[in-house]
Amino acid sequence: MKHELLKYAVFNILHRKMRSLLTVISIMIGIMAVFALVSFGLGIQRYVNEVANESGADKLFLQGKGNGAMGDTFYISRDTLEVVKKVKGVELAVGQYIKFAKLKYKDQVKYHYIMGSDPKENDFVQESFGIDIVKGRALKSGELGKVVVGYNYLSADKVFKRPLYVGEKIYINDAPFEIVGFVSEIGNPDDDANIYLTDSGMELLYPEVKDKFSFVMAKAEDGVDPTILADYVNEKVRKHLGEEEGKETFEVQSFSDAIKTFTTIIDIINVVLVLIALVSVIVASVNIMNTMYTAVLERTKEIGVMKSIGARNSDIRDIFLIESGIIGLTGGIIGIILGYVVASTGGSIAAAAGFSSLQPIFPFSLILGCALFSLMIGMVSGIFPAIQASRQRPVEALRYE
Amino acid sequence: MLVDLLKLSWAGIKHRRLRSWLTMIGIFIGIAAVVSLVGLGEGLRVAITSQFGFLGTDSLTVTAVSPGFGPPGQGAVNPLKDDLMKKIESIQGVNTAYARIVESALLEYNDNQRMSYVGSVPEGHDRKSFETMLNLNIETGRLLRDSDKAKVVLGNRYSTEDIFGKPVEVGKEVLINGEPFIVIGILEKKGSFIVDGSILMNEQDAKELYNDDKTVDLIIVKVESEALVPQVQENVEKLLRKERGVKVGEEDFQVQTPAKALESLNQTLFAIQLFVYIIATISLVVGGIGIMNTMYTAVLERTREIGIMKAIGARNSMIFLLFFLESGFIGLVGGIIGTGLGFSLSHGLAFLARQAGFRLIQASVSPLLIFGSLAFSFSLGTIFGVLPALRAAKMQPVEALRG
Repeated sequence: MKHELLKYAVFNILHRKMRSLLTVISIMIGIMAVFALVSFGLGIQRYVNEVANESGADKLFLQGKGNGAMGDTFYISRDTLEVVKKVKGVELAVGQYIKFAKLKYKDQVKYHYIMGSDPKENDFVQESFGIDIVKGRALKSGELGKVVVGYNYLSADKVFKRPLYVGEKIYINDAPFEIVGFVSEIGNPDDDANIYLTDSGMELLYPEVKDKFSFVMAKAEDGVDPTILADYVNEKVRKHLGEEEGKETFEVQSFSDAIKTFTTIIDIINVVLVLIALVSVIVASVNIMNTMYTAVLERTKEIGVMKSIGARNSDIRDIFLIESGIIGLTGGIIGIILGYVVASTGGSIAAAAGFSSLQPIFPFSLILGCALFSLMIGMVSGIFPAIQASRQRPVEALRYE
Repeated sequence: MLVDLLKLSWAGIKHRRLRSWLTMIGIFIGIAAVVSLVGLGEGLRVAITSQFGFLGTDSLTVTAVSPGFGPPGQGAVNPLKDDLMKKIESIQGVNTAYARIVESALLEYNDNQRMSYVGSVPEGHDRKSFETMLNLNIETGRLLRDSDKAKVVLGNRYSTEDIFGKPVEVGKEVLINGEPFIVIGILEKKGSFIVDGSILMNEQDAKELYNDDKTVDLIIVKVESEALVPQVQENVEKLLRKERGVKVGEEDFQVQTPAKALESLNQTLFAIQLFVYIIATISLVVGGIGIMNTMYTAVLERTREIGIMKAIGARNSMIFLLFFLESGFIGLVGGIIGTGLGFSLSHGLAFLARQAGFRLIQASVSPLLIFGSLAFSFSLGTIFGVLPALRAAKMQPVEALRG
């Protein structure tokens, strides 16, 4: 019986080709937009969580409170770093210098960030930034005129017109530096244009910031909760600097807490966008309702005949519900396929622009969820027309012209 | 003739009341979404750009290349030196040039702290020019004078808003980066977070506070007349290249008109707005497809009617126009309701946002937006009505009569 209802519904949909097609297209467009946006939202969320859990699980960082450029108006001094190192539960801590600098290669000039830290803690720093050496070697302690550069220097036209090689010279603030290595991709054009120096290299280049770190990164010992450790470090540093509680000139945060704040913002933006896209699904649902009302009207006589040969109200209702459900589901499935194409294309465009961290993901739950959602939208939109159809009086319906 | 057609179209819409309503609902949901988003987006953009729009058109700003976060000049690769002003002033067409120091600062009062910006006020004859340019007026107390030492004028928000637990008053002492300063004046409310949240002090005080009497963050060049601005800009650039020993194309500084400085901000905001609008517009396309659907059904239902009209002499063009207008009507009525709804929605949302503390958010539904969305909804209706109307127009009278 159900099987026949299904067949009958498909027959009717195909019978009104143009109208069904248009209705399917409208729900398809809506689902496509929602699917593409959600897949991006999930992709970003997963990326951030990976960063937070894999590289950030045991790390915390300490920076000065302030507005503007790091390292210029607020900084963490070397003796504070020493205090952090001695806090119980801290395995190691390293200070980072950051400066915005002029880079020159051949006759091209660019402005990017340069960073410097103690090469003894290279492993920790690389793990924190989520990078590896992909070419050449890492910096060694005491090296002054050597740099490791970001991933984008390996490609033409990303930073400089032609790709750079190990052993080449670039000028930072007009001082020559030799490239000894390249690091792996971080996934956004700013960070992938970073240049890494040794701490002593930075101090030579900027004598005025010696011992004034832009921020300090620390690693918690195994089994120590970084969020609790952050509070502990906060207390120690506050006492060291002689500051009152609540009036600190610095802040300590675990990596994962800092990243979570960031995720919340992204989530809000994504939810707003999906809500806007949902408006089109609502409009599509109105379209389905319209199509179904028309179908009920057109088939009044047919309904009368079916009723007079014994169809129950519930049978009539089901016929129309199945029909609108099929319209919704068909639109949904095509929408999911198109949404996949749109999102993947968007992802490759983002990757080509240097945002390889901005990638959509398509978990099965998303696909199933969108399909069920479209089926539901179809059926919900069909409820009123179907009830109207089921309640028609057979005699009246038969008489209808 | 046209009146008859309009009447006929209207009758057609009224006849299929439920279906027409549903189709219109589709349009008005879409239009309401677009109008409210554009209204909010535009309002927000105006609010943000107006924060920077106080610099006037007859001036230039000079900054060193910097990361672009925080106040101008911070983190600059090669900061500007304060000997430049005299040299810039000797350029023809320059009225005056003065330096500004803008730094972030920790403001403390009543045992509470707040991060803010310190801005320096130029001394001597440039003071008047600066005050005029920013249109600074005092609410209580007085503006700074050359003889003032360790005195500050604060933006309006410190006296009205609950920032430090109690409002700052004229005559009180505040700590800036730990140093004591006496508040001698509170500025009039400007509605710009930059001015309303600023701390103004004499240039010498700022230099001492930041232990730096050589570098400056920003140079403001006042040009004699607006017409001279491009020429002066070129000459200032030439001078700076020579002073800093850089070649064309390698500049580590920027000379900008205030309009130019706003442009990049505007572009970013516009890109975001555009993306949101595109997503919102999708619902209008879906609504348009709804119109098309309704019109196809209408043509089908009225096949016989079309046959009769043709039989008694109606031309193809007339039948086309009949359905074309009907479709446009659906769009227009949907648009009218949608615009009204969108108008109230954007103002309502902006009101709620302001209540929640986002003071910047204003809805701005311009007459252009209203007229534009009405015209758009009408054309949306007509565009999606073209195909159904063509089908109606091309029907064979005999076939149609039989159908």
